[in-house]
Amino acid sequence: MTEPQIICIGCPLGCSVTLKIDEKGNIETLTGNQCQEGRMYVVAEFQSPVRIFTSTVLTEKGMGLLPVRTDKPIHKGQFKELMRVTAKLRVSSPCEPGQILVHNVLGTGANLIVSGSI
Amino acid sequence: MISGVVDVAVVGGGPAGLAAAIKAKESGLEKVVIIERGGYLGGLLKQCIHNGFGLFYFREDLTGPEYARRFIDKAHDLGVEVMLGSMVVKMRPDRSMVVSSKEGLSCLLPKATVLAMGCRERSRESLSIPGTRPAGIFTAGTAQRYVNVEGFIPGKEVVILGSGDVGMIMARRLTLEGVAVRAVVEVLPYVGGLIRNEVQCLHDFDIPLWLEHTVTAVHGVERVEAVTVARVDRNWKPIAGTERTIACDTLLISAGLIPENELSRLAGVALDPVTGGAEIDENMETSVAGIFSGGNCVHVNDLVDNVTWEGEAAGRSAAACAGGRKRAEKGRIKLKAGRNVSYVVPQTITWGEEATLSIRVKEPAEQVRLRVGDIPVRAVRAVKPSEMIKFLLSGKEWAKLGGEIDELSITCDSRRD
Repeated sequence: MTEPQIICIGCPLGCSVTLKIDEKGNIETLTGNQCQEGRMYVVAEFQSPVRIFTSTVLTEKGMGLLPVRTDKPIHKGQFKELMRVTAKLRVSSPCEPGQILVHNVLGTGANLIVSGSI
Repeated sequence: MISGVVDVAVVGGGPAGLAAAIKAKESGLEKVVIIERGGYLGGLLKQCIHNGFGLFYFREDLTGPEYARRFIDKAHDLGVEVMLGSMVVKMRPDRSMVVSSKEGLSCLLPKATVLAMGCRERSRESLSIPGTRPAGIFTAGTAQRYVNVEGFIPGKEVVILGSGDVGMIMARRLTLEGVAVRAVVEVLPYVGGLIRNEVQCLHDFDIPLWLEHTVTAVHGVERVEAVTVARVDRNWKPIAGTERTIACDTLLISAGLIPENELSRLAGVALDPVTGGAEIDENMETSVAGIFSGGNCVHVNDLVDNVTWEGEAAGRSAAACAGGRKRAEKGRIKLKAGRNVSYVVPQTITWGEEATLSIRVKEPAEQVRLRVGDIPVRAVRAVKPSEMIKFLLSGKEWAKLGGEIDELSITCDSRRD
């Protein structure tokens, strides 16, 4: 049995919600939320805390940095590993927002796409 | 170089200015000009590579550059004229302005003007932090520009003073880039920015957040070597004996934004001492007829979506003014910030006219009711100074308010009373 706490980000209230998780990893109880949307957010956040990843990649000399992001939210635990991927990338040709740089990056199911332009 | 008579001149090419120029041009005007000091359009959005932009305006989750791109493309497609690297150095109450650019000085005579200069960051100097003056002290926004646009990392070990959104976003950004963020220090008992940034920028990366603390000294001669942090009392005064020193080579300041209004002052525009921006009416018109303003140079907004909407309103009104419409001088009502409200924008409205009101509260509160005069307009579950509240004052409310009023107070009271 574990009792993780998750802060709801749905509104300025920022409810601190406590979950009771049984041995199988299922949610037994959920307390501290003040609305149904909050409950749904906390369940989703417990099962899979995903975020859009954003960073920059280097371009060839003189073109500055190119902003990039994933086109779908990915698990937050994969951010640091993804930083190691973007650190190695170099872009030389002109790009437009939406262009895919890496398909299914790190097997997340998300593509790494360009979010700016050079 | 553009000079002479133009229909609408927009000062500033950030999100507010772009929105204003687009709406002015869309209403059919011939000559709409954006005057931008920097080398590109989009303003601060270029360095805001994180997502969360456009959730309300586009119902999409975009990054800053993506959000900006949509408006830049639209402005170009519509034929908005753009002067980059151009700075307005003089502005008079008759709206005439002098613009300095590489080609020299030019004089513009706009039929209507939109002020959209945005805001700038509060610096170390405006916080009066004692100590030495070494290298390594930046505002959070400057650090953001270094990291996301220029490609420099400002330091290896960082303390961030203030928990505004830019500060928290930089805490995450620097952590991902391999920098050790030692602490985010906030003088208030709650974070200064949005709750989602507290969770996704600080908690996600286990960055220590020290509420009710402040930086009381900076150490180091050539470069920052450490800062002293102390707990504060209710009046924000450091409590003796609670000091501790944190080794770091960099101090970032994220302690609020100040609307940029030097030009507004030159033009004789009346400023609100609380917001630091122009006093406007429901059409975004300032105290000077024909000069409009919108976005963060009126008041610091929480979301860019709101900045865009304000810019659009200012652009539409400026276009109408350029087409000959004059402001109604009768039936003007002054809006006052009442209980637990720090400010109301617009500051004046016309009796009976629909108006969108933006307010900020002084203190966090739960289960509150907003009132205009005696009329309840909205029940809100929770309010916080960091989150703006917007609501519409429409015909329904005006019918209840009655006539013969020249002042209305906006209040935010507990629903339990």
